[in-house]
Amino acid sequence: MNEILERLALCIEFGKINKTSPYPPNMKGQDGADELAKLALNEGVKPDEILENALIPAMEIVGGKYSRKEIYVPQMLMSAKAMNSALAHIKPFFQSGETKRKGKFIIGTVAGDLHDIGKNLVAMMIEGGGWEVIDLGVDAGTDKFLKAINEHPGAVIGLSALLTTTMENMKNTVSAIREKHADLKILVGGAPVTTDYCKKIGADFYSPDPQGAVNYLKQLVS
Amino acid sequence: MKDKKFQFNVSDLKLSVSQVERIIGYKEGEDSGLVTGLIGEVIEEASQICSVKAEYAIFQDVRFEDRGKMIFIGNIDFDIKGIVYQQLKKSESVALFLCTAGPEISRRISNSMNEGDLLKGYVYDIVGSEIVEAAADLMQSNLEGEALNEGNKITNRYSPGYCGWDVVGQHKMFRLLNGEYCGVRLTESALMNPVKSASGIIGIGKNVKFNPYTCEMCNMKGCTYKKFRSG
Repeated sequence: MNEILERLALCIEFGKINKTSPYPPNMKGQDGADELAKLALNEGVKPDEILENALIPAMEIVGGKYSRKEIYVPQMLMSAKAMNSALAHIKPFFQSGETKRKGKFIIGTVAGDLHDIGKNLVAMMIEGGGWEVIDLGVDAGTDKFLKAINEHPGAVIGLSALLTTTMENMKNTVSAIREKHADLKILVGGAPVTTDYCKKIGADFYSPDPQGAVNYLKQLVS
Repeated sequence: MKDKKFQFNVSDLKLSVSQVERIIGYKEGEDSGLVTGLIGEVIEEASQICSVKAEYAIFQDVRFEDRGKMIFIGNIDFDIKGIVYQQLKKSESVALFLCTAGPEISRRISNSMNEGDLLKGYVYDIVGSEIVEAAADLMQSNLEGEALNEGNKITNRYSPGYCGWDVVGQHKMFRLLNGEYCGVRLTESALMNPVKSASGIIGIGKNVKFNPYTCEMCNMKGCTYKKFRSG
């Protein structure tokens, strides 16, 4: 793999955003994800290659470490920020069509629930996996999901709930989506949600951590 | 017992950096260098910007309906469901409470997130939640003292959205406790604004018991909270 991409992947894995960012201390003063993504493009590396050979594998490593509880949310957020700083250089190529996303993913925390940390982590990981993410925020009712589905046909849907009491709203939204869009893939997550509950409400996949969701989406397009 | 209103300084709440680190997940001796300084800064900032308020109101006119696991406060019925019902059913009176860390910390959470400073937004979020919980603890211990003076005990506190009690129960609660003092308003879907706020109920009486929150109270199977707490 290109040496610049190797360094870029390391910056994302360890959350090195740019040259001036002090974290991590052992990379102080070195170029970060921001500079290296720019450098890679200037050196003629294709945006697709940057995505496939640096951003996606680095975020997979981060997701795996989080699943194994080797890192906590703060390290993951730093990696996501580093990834975003690299992604900012690639976004114009998505817009021009030169680089293709793997698909669209609509995500939101269900009605009556305002917990967004878990939802945000999943959104970041999936964006890092090469998908376009449409984030409906928190307290997202069924109508909001249905409107987004109409605007982004064929998107995969993700619903999050952190309260046992808002799982009922998750069920209602899933069933309303199923009624109109039987073929769409629906992922669910959140601390009280389980595989059994996922099956019971007619969703397609439950993952206890963000990387599981990324892996599932990867399978869908492989 | 009388209704009471409180205003706290963040320093009254004895929030520490190590407490926030533990909530994030760091264990004793683990390298938390990434967040230690930031948590300290955010706690310091919170002490300048947070208007921490709490209030409780006492209601003597309460009755319980065992069949539907309901409590009636005056003529308003609360569908509190089995878990909360079991804890409250021996109450002779109840306190409804409201606590808030104020609007500014909630604003800073969303501003940080929108500006891409995800880590700071996350730390604000956790510190905001801890402020609300600590304020609720102080309010609750004041209530307990008042109850003891009259020969009564109190239950733990229970909030809509938890233990099976639907979050929409909050609309009824706000009819009895208007939220004006704390400056808290409800959205249509019963969420509080500012978000770093808490509301709920505490039972008072001679025969009530203070039970800590445990997952054994709940009948959910396979829930991550249960797995996490049982190690």
